[in-house]
Amino acid sequence: MNNDLVIQNLRVNVGDKEILKGVNLTVQQGTIHAIMGPNGSGKSTLSYTLAGHPGYKVTAGEVWFKGQNILTLEANERSKLGLFLAFQHPVAVPGVSVANFLRAALNAHRAVPGKDPKETSIPIAEFRKLLKSGMLFLEMDDKFARRYLNEGFSGGEKKRLETLQMMLLKPGMIIMDETDSGLDIDALKIVSKGVNHLLNPEIGALVITHYQRLLDYIKPNFVSVMMEGQIVQAGGPELALKLEEKGYDWVREEFAHAS
Amino acid sequence: MPAKSELLPLAALTSSYLAEQATKANEPPWLVAQRATAWDFFAQTLPPFWQRTDLSKLHPETICPPAKAQGTLIQSSEALAALEAKGVVFTTLAAALQTHSDLIQEKLGKAANPLKNKFSALRMALWQDGIFLYVPKNVEINLPLHVNYTLKESDQAIFPYSLLILEPNARATFVEDFSSSASEDLALAGPTTEIFMGAGSELRFASIQQWGPKIYHLGAQAIVLERDARFELTSVALGGTVQHLEAEIALQGAGSQVNWLGATFASADQQLLTESLLQHKGINTSSFISFKTVVTEQSYSVFDGTIKIEQDSKNTISRLEEKAIHLSPDSRSDSIPGLRIDTNNLERAGHASTCGYIDEEQLFYLQSRGLSKNEAIHMIIMGFFEPVLQAIPLEELRATVANTIESKIL
Repeated sequence: MNNDLVIQNLRVNVGDKEILKGVNLTVQQGTIHAIMGPNGSGKSTLSYTLAGHPGYKVTAGEVWFKGQNILTLEANERSKLGLFLAFQHPVAVPGVSVANFLRAALNAHRAVPGKDPKETSIPIAEFRKLLKSGMLFLEMDDKFARRYLNEGFSGGEKKRLETLQMMLLKPGMIIMDETDSGLDIDALKIVSKGVNHLLNPEIGALVITHYQRLLDYIKPNFVSVMMEGQIVQAGGPELALKLEEKGYDWVREEFAHAS
Repeated sequence: MPAKSELLPLAALTSSYLAEQATKANEPPWLVAQRATAWDFFAQTLPPFWQRTDLSKLHPETICPPAKAQGTLIQSSEALAALEAKGVVFTTLAAALQTHSDLIQEKLGKAANPLKNKFSALRMALWQDGIFLYVPKNVEINLPLHVNYTLKESDQAIFPYSLLILEPNARATFVEDFSSSASEDLALAGPTTEIFMGAGSELRFASIQQWGPKIYHLGAQAIVLERDARFELTSVALGGTVQHLEAEIALQGAGSQVNWLGATFASADQQLLTESLLQHKGINTSSFISFKTVVTEQSYSVFDGTIKIEQDSKNTISRLEEKAIHLSPDSRSDSIPGLRIDTNNLERAGHASTCGYIDEEQLFYLQSRGLSKNEAIHMIIMGFFEPVLQAIPLEELRATVANTIESKIL
């Protein structure tokens, strides 16, 4: 089956304000597609909308993934279908340990309607092994598993945990929302290592970023520029370098001429 | 129909009848007199005006109180022999009257005033169940001591009295839990817990209320701490139809400390209230209270917590945190923090209070990982109560409480 993510004429309101004004974009399976753009251009709105945040109201358009218009699905159903959003600001849930949360997430993915969860859930020993190897790969301390989810985590710890979740859940489409924000270079390298380890010809990635820096580690096949809620430029990796060098003003000018 | 109790219903009781019964049971004369005084007070006093506790459906006059202790289950009996060798006394309060009458007379009702209101008087007049714990100076008890108070289906009332005395530098962990079958008729539980903590003593104390659905829980706790004593309180309120619990903690001695983790989860039409008065009397005393509440369906919960920092206390540290989560629009919770400061020499005192529906961002984060909305709510609520659950010293009881909470989330 084709695992492309196809976004067609997507329009989204936050409150009364239209933020996305007709986004068209395809992320092909097996490719990395970067979206760059200045602050306030609608990049995060796009990622939250794709993941199904109830605060973002879709007024028009469709988003197709694995043969379904995912806009009709709840956030958890999109996750189970294989969509994974790595949050820019992962949310703290006090009192819930990282290990318990990860196990619940894995079991939710393994659940089969009509079957006893006891049959489908991951055996404890297998889970421990999986967790341990993932944490080792991302250079995380064992104690990490017992800490409360994102509570008091540093920026780097939060993003490593997002990456660990990604590795355990094995999504078909990864959306990374400004994963590089709040990361020092060492953490950035480790997170990139995790993402690159996961990527394969079956998996696509939509990498949203403000800076070129992340793209040195997670190398895009395509780069699109978002401005005022629309995709206004598209190109290859060279576009990211041009933006790094020249900023966004030239895109803004071309966009103004075009519209 | 045969009487469910050897005692008459409350409406037919008199102080002379009670005195006769007490004497017959070989109770010491001071207690016979104390009960009679309390009964007279009860009989002559109007019910207290409790703005946030609705007793209109409680009709105590028909209730037959138990004539003897019948709902006290001391769970830690296998450990008792070793404790006795160290001079520890842990037995029912009724049994302890025969061996430690003087000590009980010296303390009983001294921290929890029996003549405070109609119900405190009722509890003193009628208690039969209950325990007595005495820990001598410098003795440490490592095992958690556990008493379970139960109401069986035919019982209509229980008034357990727990008296705990820790001598200087004594240490203990104590758990009381209240439980019953879910099918009983309306019944009244009136527990009193009175704790005296000597200088430098430490007590971890957990009180777990998980009665069946039709029980009125009208109770009191009173704790007095001497110099450098340290009291760790965990309280959980899950059951009953109405709870009105009055807790009074006096940080009497210099350097005494209390840490209190509280959890209340009200569902259906439950009304669960905890009213606390925390008094900083000595210098360098500190208190931390974290009280967590979840309400759902049509339930109502109240935490009415007053902290009084008295004139002679200096360098006091006090912190009160209240958090409430509403799972339904029809549920209500009131948090009424009060801070009265009568000293000019305060280190710091503060409180924080939050109240609202479950956090949307937490819900979305968990749902975005595949959990259904219901699973996400369960996870957030269990996490909310996790620090309180962890503080319950008995693993088995912790699991029971966790199950009860899970089952109330819907």
